[in-house]
Formats: sequence, structure tokens, C-alpha cells
Amino acid sequence: MITCDLLVIGGGPAGISAAVAAGKAGLKVLLLEERERLGGQLTKQTHRFFGSVAERAGTRGIAIIKDLETVVAQLENVEISLSTTALGIYEDGVSTALKSGKMIKIKPKAIVVATGAFEKFLPFENNDLPGVYGAGAVQTLMNIYGVLPARRILMIGSGNIGLIVSYQLVQAGAEVVGVIEASPKIGGYLVHASKIRRLGIPIYPSCTIKKAFGQDRVVGAELVRLDEKWKEIPGSQFTVDCDAICLAVGLNPLIDLLGQSGCQFKYIPELGGQVPIRDESMRTNVPHLYIAGDLSSIEEATAALLEGELAGLSAAKQIRPGQSLEARMEEVKTHLRALRSGPVGEKIRSGLSKLTGEALPTPSPRTNAIDELSRTGIASPANLAGVLPDEKRKKTRAYAVIECYQQIPCDPCVHNCPFGAIKPFSDINDLPIVDFDLCTGCGQCIGRCPGLAIFTVDETRDGDRAKITLPYEFLPKPVREETVDLLDRSGKCVGQGVVKSVLNTPKQDKTTIVTVEIHRNLVQDVRQIRVVQKS
Amino acid sequence: MKNKASVVIVGGGITGTSTAFSLAKRGVKDIVLIEREGLASGATGRCGAGIRQQWGTFQNCLLARESMKVFENFQEVLGTDIDIELKQKGYLLLAYSEKEMDQFRRNVEVQHQLDIPSRLVSCREAKEIVPFLNTEKMLGGAFCPTDGHANPFLATKAYAKAAERLGVEILMKTEVKAITVVNDRIKGVHTSQGFIETDKVVNAAGGWSAQIGEMAGLHLPVYSERHEILVTEPVNPIMDPMVMSFSYNIYCQQTPHGSFIMGYGPQNEPRGYNVNATWQFLETMARKAAWLLPPLKNMRIVRQWAGLYNMSPDRQPIVCESEIVKGFFMGIGFSGHGFMIAPAVGTLLADLITGSPLTWDVVLDLGRYDRHETIAEPSVV
Repeated sequence: MITCDLLVIGGGPAGISAAVAAGKAGLKVLLLEERERLGGQLTKQTHRFFGSVAERAGTRGIAIIKDLETVVAQLENVEISLSTTALGIYEDGVSTALKSGKMIKIKPKAIVVATGAFEKFLPFENNDLPGVYGAGAVQTLMNIYGVLPARRILMIGSGNIGLIVSYQLVQAGAEVVGVIEASPKIGGYLVHASKIRRLGIPIYPSCTIKKAFGQDRVVGAELVRLDEKWKEIPGSQFTVDCDAICLAVGLNPLIDLLGQSGCQFKYIPELGGQVPIRDESMRTNVPHLYIAGDLSSIEEATAALLEGELAGLSAAKQIRPGQSLEARMEEVKTHLRALRSGPVGEKIRSGLSKLTGEALPTPSPRTNAIDELSRTGIASPANLAGVLPDEKRKKTRAYAVIECYQQIPCDPCVHNCPFGAIKPFSDINDLPIVDFDLCTGCGQCIGRCPGLAIFTVDETRDGDRAKITLPYEFLPKPVREETVDLLDRSGKCVGQGVVKSVLNTPKQDKTTIVTVEIHRNLVQDVRQIRVVQKS
Repeated sequence: MKNKASVVIVGGGITGTSTAFSLAKRGVKDIVLIEREGLASGATGRCGAGIRQQWGTFQNCLLARESMKVFENFQEVLGTDIDIELKQKGYLLLAYSEKEMDQFRRNVEVQHQLDIPSRLVSCREAKEIVPFLNTEKMLGGAFCPTDGHANPFLATKAYAKAAERLGVEILMKTEVKAITVVNDRIKGVHTSQGFIETDKVVNAAGGWSAQIGEMAGLHLPVYSERHEILVTEPVNPIMDPMVMSFSYNIYCQQTPHGSFIMGYGPQNEPRGYNVNATWQFLETMARKAAWLLPPLKNMRIVRQWAGLYNMSPDRQPIVCESEIVKGFFMGIGFSGHGFMIAPAVGTLLADLITGSPLTWDVVLDLGRYDRHETIAEPSVV
């Protein structure tokens, strides 16, 4: 029988964060991870994270996990057991796990369960054909094992996972034939949607899949439009050719282990379905049992990191009273509230109020004219007009165009402007506002924006030439003086330009900053370049 | 929901549904069956799914044989197309002492009176039936080739569907809150969905039957006890019969699906309603099974669970009408073998409720304890 102060089940962001917090508080911690390495979903998140710079926003998931691994490895009182599957949490406080084919027994003083979530499936005809994948599975195949599962993919679901995986599929060299969404609006962050739109990927709102075509593998799909009541519109069927259908229709908390422990659950769709009942300090109804991460509610990794820390601190406080951990616990709770305070946190807030009965503060409604954008992923002229300087200023110096129109909890741009030209936020959900008197158009912010939504424009020269600087995350990288295709917000080629500068130092961390000379009439249309494949 | 019923059956396990079917088939109308959770959510759905006829008393052999006849002709008897996955590859009982061997000898004689095709087997014969059986310390055993397995979920579902077709109303997620008794007669049942007026209640509540008894003012001599069980991953068929030993304390069978289901009787288990699984069971079970059936040591367990045995003083069912509260019928105290005799018990309860003579000459009433006529069944785990 192995004894320890705290057993952490699950080595994803929430579990590691819990182990680190408890380890720093002096607890003897045992962290179990089913896979052969730590990191959970972070190990395949090649994109930059949103959120607060304080919680590593702007950093790629795969980089965050490297940091966390280093931190946890330095804590001598935290033992990590990889390739170890938790099996049970029993009524006598003993937990069991499978390690090297044997059942091991662990008697901890407290447990943090951070088992994460699993992908939902979708009922449609032929959904058992080879070629129907979960989006998470596709991401695992591509980003962990280096396997591209298909060439032409149809993505079902426009939440962040659907949008991000679509982008990553294109990065890996596949074609995404479209993203369909049953709701009339795009589910994920609109900056993600804009990223894939300018690659030419169509998004179909109010649309669902009827069936997959194929005998022994997927060769296509029949789609149908939905009316405002989510009913199929007769005769609106259309078909697409594809060799894979990727389902990104949400996640369910992985509660099985907790079910056995006697933990109570509540069905709260906003949080992902059956979720464990817990208090604000992540404590469940079972004594000494805490939870964190997607298991408690389906959210972003930033929330998982914070919840993990909170759970670790709560356990430490219970096991070793007398330590002054309350201040940090309150700080973490405040961060979590801030993270969930904006419009995109509304669903989580309403779910949490069902769970705890506690009403979270709702921010005052702000004008946020993004209706068309949220259907199409393409900013309207009205959206754009709100973020541009006046004509006189355009002529005097280069300037940044921040195409961030939706209030999401994210602030790296503010912290990465060397001139303080992006106004400080009072709330992490604030929209960035550029002070054009301070902005020099230096472009430092471009590569730090997780949404790749910042561009700089230089139209100071006379004549018909102007320059645009934009982020580029594809291979091959363009080279100086190369002629590239210019794509607008819908991915349409609107002309050609000449690359004038390529910035690709380690600091850019693979987000290459490319400056292209283009016709000045195109500066507010071009948002993507395409390297012309040499035959 | 009906607010008036001729009979209210409490419990949606195999006993309740089989009783509902038997009653309805005899033309009884307005039957309501009440189930707190879902069909087979109690002991029925948690049992080892074995059906055996190798008992030590004439009456148990009779009930088991008659029930087996129903299982063998299930689709015909119930008019259902549900396949209950009946597998008749036998029960192999193992003896580890002369005393046990003698008992099997006597049992087989009783079984032969009812044409149950059982026989004694030597260790060598036992190994022919299960080639990898560890016969160390074993003296021999008994084998009945027509014993076997059926799927308790499908059997319960089939009974419930057949009963519904005959007009029985089945209320799931409905809990009995109180039973009204006036002048020692049943008057009605208060449920979480409302009151049902009736003069007949059938207590088929399995693990919770003592509580239903209390509601009618009766102290029934039954209690509940946790028994644990596990199931492995499915593999190719390698073991035909249920292998069982009373003295080594184990039962283990391979289901048609390929998984192995096994359990043993707990020692010093407190009375109660706890159905949590334990890690101690896993360790002991694995050790026992791996010693007796060595290839099993390489198999992976996929799930473990526990259920309640509803124990009676003589480890035998109580099937009767209360002599104190008229209209209160019961099929309780099955002590771990309710599933395999449920078809016969349903028939007996239907006899009692309709006032017909019992189909078989058996003594299963409560009064036997006062009369000191307990049933001495020697062959139970």
C-alpha cells in the first residue's frame, strides 16, 4: 500500500497544476497519468492560448506543457507515475491503479481528480463508416503521431475545437471542405473563424449532416439546411465530397471514476452534461475529494490550470491547516471569475450558478456589433471602420489594425506593445483599443496575438504601393522578393504582391511575420498570403 | 397512471415482472407494476446469470426444473422474439471432501427423481469438461449438462414487454412511499406519482423487501447482504459450464458474449444496503480464480460491482400471502438464487393471488419458520 498526502489523478493541465500547488505547500504528492507523458490535451495544442498573460496566454499549449513539466520535476515531494491508469476510488479511502500490468493500491489523505473529458458523438446515417473521426482524435493523430488521417475533411461543429483543428489540418497539408454548424452563429471565437475563412474554408451556419456516403470508407456527405427552429428545410440538401468527417460537437466530463467514489452529480448542459457537484474551492460532497479541469466543466485550458491550482491549495489547506494559503486561493478565484466574466463566459456562468446557486456578476452590456461576423467569420466594413485611424493619421506613420471584434478573455496584445499604444484593460474581456498617437506600426504585437488578428499597414508612401505585415504559420515560408498570392478575408485571391521582409527568429516561435508590398487599394482587403507553388 | 388497480406489484426485477406476466396471462386486469429505478436495476441485473437445477431438496429441484422448462421455451411461452441468450453447457460442481462428495451423491438421487440429467464426475471427467481445471485437492464433482446461463436483463425485459402487451401498466422511476392497511387488509399504495387504490400488493422488492414489509406493518424475517462480482474482457469460448464450489467458495462462468463472470460468498459481511464494490474483492477473487482456472490469470477485469442478496432464515425463498395482512403477497428472501427460479415463482404467486391451488406441491410460506419446518437446502454458495 502506497501512502501519500495527495493523490492527483490525471496529468493534464489541471492535474499538474494541482500537484504543483500542493507540492509547493509541502505535501507529499503522487500524480498518476495514464499516458506515457504528462500534458493531457496540451500535448497536441500547437496554437497559442488565449487568456491572461499571467496564465501564459499567447504561448502555445505545447510550450506551456514544457514549462509545467519543468516546474513539477523540480518539486522533490511530487512523484509522477506515468503509464498508470487509475482504476477505482473505494469507500475506505483506498485508490487503485494499473501500473505495468499490476494493480497498485494507494492510500492518500486527499484526492484531486482531473480526468478531463471525452468527445461527444453525433447520430447520422453511416456514422460508423471508417473515416468518421472525433476532432480530438484527428488532432492526436496529426500533432502527436504525425499521421494525417485524410486529405479532404468535412468538419462538423464550429466551436473552438472545430475551428482550431480545421486550421491545423490546413497547416498539415490537408484540405478542409467546410465547417458546418447547426446553430445560426459560429460557436467558437470569431478570430479563429476569421483565420480559417481567409484560408478559403467555407463555414455553413444553420446546417447539419444527414448522412455519410461510402461503402467501406467515407467518400462524401449529405448536408441539410436548418430553419430558425432547427428543423430541416425540405429540399435544401446538398452534398460534399470528402474522405473524412470530423466531429467537433462538444465534450462530456469523464466522470466514471467519481461515480464510483460516491460523488454526487447534476445534469447541467452548459457545463458539459453530468457534472460533479462541488463548491467554489473545488471540493465535492465526498470528504477529501476534489476535482478540477474539464471534469468539473468544459472550458479552456486556462480555467483548468486555475482550477487545478485551487483544488491543490484546498487539499493542502485541509491536510496541513495553518498555512496561509487563503490569499492565493482568493486570488485564483478572482482570476477565474474574471476569465468567465465576458460574453463568451455567459454559458459557463449560467451553468455555474445552477451548480452553486451563486449568481456571478454579469458585465454591463456593451455595444458589440458582430452579428454578421458571427454568422460568416468575415468582418464587415462597419467592423473595420471602428478600428482604423483617420485618413490623416494613415498618411503619417504605419499603424496596427487589430481585427478583434468579439469580447473574449485575452490580453497579450496589451502587454506586448513596447509603446503602450494598446489601452490597458480594466477587464480581461475588454476589446483592444489602439491609441494611434502612440502606435508606430512596429508590428511587435502581431506574433503575440493568439487569434492572429493583428496586422500592420504602411500607406505613408506616395504612389500606389503600400505594405501590409501579417502573421503566417504555414510551410513553405515565403522568401524575400518572392511574389505571393494575396487573399482577402474569404480566401479569395485578389492579386499578387512582393515579399519585402520575413521575420522568423526563435522569438517568433514559428509565427512568421511577413511584410508584403501590395497595391494600396488592397490594404484593407488582404489578410492572408499564399506562397505560389513552383511547378 | 391508474389510480385503482387489482394488484400492485412492487419491484421491476425478474420476480416482479414474471409475476406480472403470469397474472396477466390468467386474465387478471388492471395490474400495476412499480419500479423505483429501472427494470433489473437491483439484484436481477447484478446477479451471476447462472441457472442450475442441481439442488439438494426435491422442492428446489422442482422449481429449478420447471423454471428451466420456461427458459428453454422462452420465446414461445412469452410470445416474444427477445433472445435471452440461453446457454446450456452445464454446471460443474466441485467437491473437496468425502462429505461433500456424499452430499452430491444424495443430491443426484433427488435430482434423478425429477429426471434432471445430472451425474457424478471424477476429477478426470471434470478435466474433460474443463481441460484447464486445476483438480489439486479435488475429489470429484457433479455435473448437469442442461444447467447454464441466461441474460437477466433480456429475460426481465421480455417478461415486462409481454406483461405490457397483456395490459399491465409498468411505472418506472416510481417509488412506493407508504402502504395503507385498514383492518388488516391492504387498501392502497402511496407512490411518488400518487395514490393507487388496491386490495392486493405483491412485495417483489428484492433487497428492499423488508422495508416494503414495514410499510405494511410487517417484520419480515429477511435482511440484505452485499455480494460482489466481476466481469472480464470477452475472449474466445474456452469454458463450457459454470464452475462452482461450495467449499472453495467460488462460482465462475463464461457468458455467450465471451466474458467471464465470477464471484464468491463474502465472510463477515454486515447486514445492510451498501452496494459499493471493494478492492479487497478484486484481490481475493483474482487469487481464487487464477488458482482454480489458471488461464484466467492472464485476463483483464473490465468491471466490478455489487448487489444485494435478500437473505431468509433458511436461505430459501418466501413465497406466500401474509397471514396477518390480507392481500399482502410476497416473493422474497431468494438468498442469491432468485433469477433462476423466477419463472416458477411467478406462477406460484399467480396461483396465490388468484386463489388457485398451487401448481406444484411446495412449502414456501412464512409460517414454516413458526412450524419449524425450515427447508434444509445443503447446496448453496
